[in-house]
Amino acid sequence: MIDLVRAEWIKLRTVTMNWVLVAIAVLFPLAVTLLTSYFRGDEDMDARQLLEVLTGSSFVPALLVAVIAAASITSEFGFGTIRVTFTATPRRARVLVAKAMVLVVSAVWLQTVVVLIGALAGKALAESQGSFIDFADVPTGLPALLGTVALAGIMALIGLGLGMLVRSTPVAIAMLILWPLMAEALIGGLLQLVFDEVDIVSWMPFRAGFSIAAIESFGGPDRLVAGIYFAAVGLGLCALGGWAVNRKDA
Amino acid sequence: MRCMLDLDRADSGTATFDGRRFRDLHRPLHEVGALLDAGYVHPGRSGRNHLRWLAATNGIGMARVNTVLEQVGLTAAADARLRSYSLGMRQRLGIAAVLLGDPQTIILDEPANGLDPEGIRWIRDTLSWLAGQGRTVLVSSHQLSEMALIAHDLVVIGQGRLIEQSTVAGFVAEHADTWVRVQSPTVGALVPHLTALGAAVTTIDPTTVDVRGTTSATVGELAAHHGVVLHELATQTGSLEDAFLKATAESVEYHSGPMGDPS
Repeated sequence: MIDLVRAEWIKLRTVTMNWVLVAIAVLFPLAVTLLTSYFRGDEDMDARQLLEVLTGSSFVPALLVAVIAAASITSEFGFGTIRVTFTATPRRARVLVAKAMVLVVSAVWLQTVVVLIGALAGKALAESQGSFIDFADVPTGLPALLGTVALAGIMALIGLGLGMLVRSTPVAIAMLILWPLMAEALIGGLLQLVFDEVDIVSWMPFRAGFSIAAIESFGGPDRLVAGIYFAAVGLGLCALGGWAVNRKDA
Repeated sequence: MRCMLDLDRADSGTATFDGRRFRDLHRPLHEVGALLDAGYVHPGRSGRNHLRWLAATNGIGMARVNTVLEQVGLTAAADARLRSYSLGMRQRLGIAAVLLGDPQTIILDEPANGLDPEGIRWIRDTLSWLAGQGRTVLVSSHQLSEMALIAHDLVVIGQGRLIEQSTVAGFVAEHADTWVRVQSPTVGALVPHLTALGAAVTTIDPTTVDVRGTTSATVGELAAHHGVVLHELATQTGSLEDAFLKATAESVEYHSGPMGDPS
């Protein structure tokens, strides 16, 4: 398995587009957090505000991680390298597990770096402008930051799972954007009209998933339950995608 | 070939390599090297990185990557992105990938397709070199003139069914036409004697005829007996292509009609 993990890691880091997306994923939340800390630091900014900006902007890297994960498999189908991959390793499940491991670990590592730098540098910048930041003032701060990191890992699974199912990069990316932004609101809203006694909207996968990284609760399931539920959705998509890849001709 | 490599599910039957199915090979690159399409690469990667990830899957080191790059003559272009590779360069990279694990069995699908004459010569020499090392080289190709030059054994498939399996020489001998070419300044004097023997004579030009239904020995003896001077007496055999077309005539899916006058 270690050979396959090494191979997937080489694949991941030898595509320029992945580095462009990683650069955006790192720079966007850091830029938003650090600029906010700098320019609002003199307006008595507190830890809650800083953490809200940081966790809020960290949805972008999570989404980009999902895009990288989806493209890691859809590009294999698009360019035909999946046939080379499966000719080198005929046991397809092992390849897919190695791919998932590399993507999840990379996503978690990336988001950890973003969160750590954002929190520490944001605190330093805000305090340099006269604010006082004490993260201990926000009891939900650490769980939200951990949730942000977990969210990235789960989004990698969701991207990979979708990619395995649809096998097309544009379709996978469109689904990753439209599902959380539009489809869930529409479907959840419609279902809520029919089943008005059950809190369906809170159990929509992305809403539940995004709630694990929120400083302020969205309502609905608590953070741990929402995290487990969203991870189960990610793993379920991967299992379904893996089954499809195993069953179909390469 | 895709079924053999477990890429497609076969409706029936199994393919084995030394008694084992492909999916059961632990590190298949060490046993079977396959090139189905040289275009199966990520255009954004370099040739070296393409081989690196492939080598890593089977525990093959970087030194071997450099060795095969040198063997196929791609060392200088190894770090260029694959989108800048010509078809011939991609074909060379594909052969490098095949050689990575130093496999005993090599499977290639249309390796000379789209190549320029230099590339075709290179593929031909490479395949002959690989076979000369005692490896099994299975090549699928529609380029019969190329196959006639390099293949030893032949499997002819038409519409998914096995038509024949034999040596190239045996296949040609069985299916291709054979005739005797005779050239003489007085060939006209020989023709009545040949037809009297029951041979079919086709006039090529005033001094040359093709004779079917007899052997060159018989023609030579007949000419000597009647005092006809011969300038050429040779047994001719049809090409592998002729033999293939004859053998697969009933399996051809699309039959072309006469082209007619374009005007």
